[in-house]
Amino acid sequence: MKHSSWYKAIVGGKLFILIAVAVLSACSTGNKDASDAKFSLYILGKNNKTYVVHTSNLDSGSIKPEVYGTEITQNYKGRDLIVRNANYYRLNAKTHLFSKFKVLPGEVEVESSFLLKNFSIECFKWIKGDTLLLTGLNAPAYNTPKFVLLNAATMKVISHGNLDIPRPSGEFTTLSIGLLEQRSGNSLLLGYTYHVSQDINNFKTSDTMYVSELNYPSMKLVKTHKDIRSTYPGGQNVIQPYSFKDEKQDLYFMSCPGIALGNRPELPTAIFRIKATQAETDKSYFFNISGSSIKNHAYGMWYLGQRQVIIRSERADLFKGLNDHYRTPHFEFHVLNLDTKEIKKLDLPLDKGTRKECVIVQGNIAYIAINSPKKGCYIWEYNIKTGSLKRGLQLSGETDFILRIDKLYDQKK
Amino acid sequence: MRISKEALEHYHQGACTPAERKAVEEWLLSTSADDLLLPPGEDKYVHKAEMWNNIRSVTDETETTKSKSSSYYVWKGAIAASMVICMLAAAAYFLLQQKVELLSLNNNSAYAVKQVNSIGYDVSVGPNTIASINDGRGIIYLNGSVLILANKDVQLVLEGTKTKISLKKGQSYIIFKNKTGSESIIVVNKQDVFDLPPLMQRQITKHFDI
Repeated sequence: MKHSSWYKAIVGGKLFILIAVAVLSACSTGNKDASDAKFSLYILGKNNKTYVVHTSNLDSGSIKPEVYGTEITQNYKGRDLIVRNANYYRLNAKTHLFSKFKVLPGEVEVESSFLLKNFSIECFKWIKGDTLLLTGLNAPAYNTPKFVLLNAATMKVISHGNLDIPRPSGEFTTLSIGLLEQRSGNSLLLGYTYHVSQDINNFKTSDTMYVSELNYPSMKLVKTHKDIRSTYPGGQNVIQPYSFKDEKQDLYFMSCPGIALGNRPELPTAIFRIKATQAETDKSYFFNISGSSIKNHAYGMWYLGQRQVIIRSERADLFKGLNDHYRTPHFEFHVLNLDTKEIKKLDLPLDKGTRKECVIVQGNIAYIAINSPKKGCYIWEYNIKTGSLKRGLQLSGETDFILRIDKLYDQKK
Repeated sequence: MRISKEALEHYHQGACTPAERKAVEEWLLSTSADDLLLPPGEDKYVHKAEMWNNIRSVTDETETTKSKSSSYYVWKGAIAASMVICMLAAAAYFLLQQKVELLSLNNNSAYAVKQVNSIGYDVSVGPNTIASINDGRGIIYLNGSVLILANKDVQLVLEGTKTKISLKKGQSYIIFKNKTGSESIIVVNKQDVFDLPPLMQRQITKHFDI
């Protein structure tokens, strides 16, 4: 059968349209059509680029961030983020701008910024509604504890100043605030410790941790309590969480004396409790993780409900030191029962990345982001009720590290 | 024994009879010095004079050639001088190269960072740092801290150890001697700095303004 040239042109044209439609419909599953997205994934690529991917589904499929995501430009790059109601908040340490922005298809849209000079964020806490409390230190001296209270909706500072906790003294030159929690009404709890730090290559952490109760919003000190069972309470929760309140409003937090944070590895990583009616650590409660069957230090803790938590622990036999702590896959995940102290190791590939916001709890499912050089980058689903594990969404293409997974909206559960 | 010119010619041409061959060879091996028989009418002394003249002319040609070579000697001298100059230049270049390959990275300041840019590296030298890179030997000595951008893929060995430091072209690294842990030296890609302990990060970002 002989076809005329116009017939071929029509067939060729149809084929082109068919291919174009297929390509466009593939693209339309990207951030361009992510208005119903529930989750934000913060990806560091092998090409050294950073992407944010919005998706409504963590259960299956495969996403290439370089195709699907939005590349984050230099001024907004950094995984030390606060994510809420599809808004991102971040302090740029170079420009000193505290910005509120949205990640749209192909671009970052800045809604508002204000200058926040000489401030370094350690912890944040949503106090009530849109009121956001930031605690931190004066940069670059890092020797005075400070706070900024702001309305995140209007991006107006409500108040700011020094936190009424003791500045470092004696041999100590700086401090770390790793725990910030609001108690009922007009009280805050701050957990912190002190350091000697005079050069890049030399720092020492005190063997004591402190919990201070402060009046809110005056930020005046009520009382300070010491605990010497471990040191370095919590950590920067803009990067990874280390504490939570349970159903009874009891506060649990993790100490992190391992080499990646406190660098007092002879002291144990442990979980502490501050009862809802108290302002000091419960001396009758001590969950020694390093002394358990885990036999390692851990960084990061996520509450699953029903007295269970997930922790992320290192494997000291698989890395040599700080040089390879970040890029070597050596992290394990364990589910702990806070009451019985039962420990269950999750059968997951070893994860890489020293600190990551890598767990989201949604109903009965805990989504866990794993970066395995051998087994790929996947979101795994842990069923809290049944204990089963299933591999979900794959992050493919240029994905090197999934540094954060966040819920875009608190209320969508 | 007398041997004719024709007999000698036949011998050289290989055309003589066995008897003639034997006669010629006996004549050649004999110590007697009989005069050659010249063709009739030719004078022995005329031939002798011609021979001397020929010898003289050859000698004169040699002398003439020698007198022409004065310019040759000038050129020869110039070439030799050029070769010496080239050798000196090569030696100087080699020495200069040696100087570039040994990159000194000392900073006595207790607070300020010092910038050192060379052919192979752009380096911010941290406060109180004594360091050097010997590119030729592939050795780095470091006591302190540096932020280094390599302009080529390079592998250096920490002096006095077997510790190897691999730097990729176009990427920046913070390298510092660690006093707090068991590792003697920390090498971290600039983009991975935020996974170091926050206490180290503060000092690094403060010193190197990153």
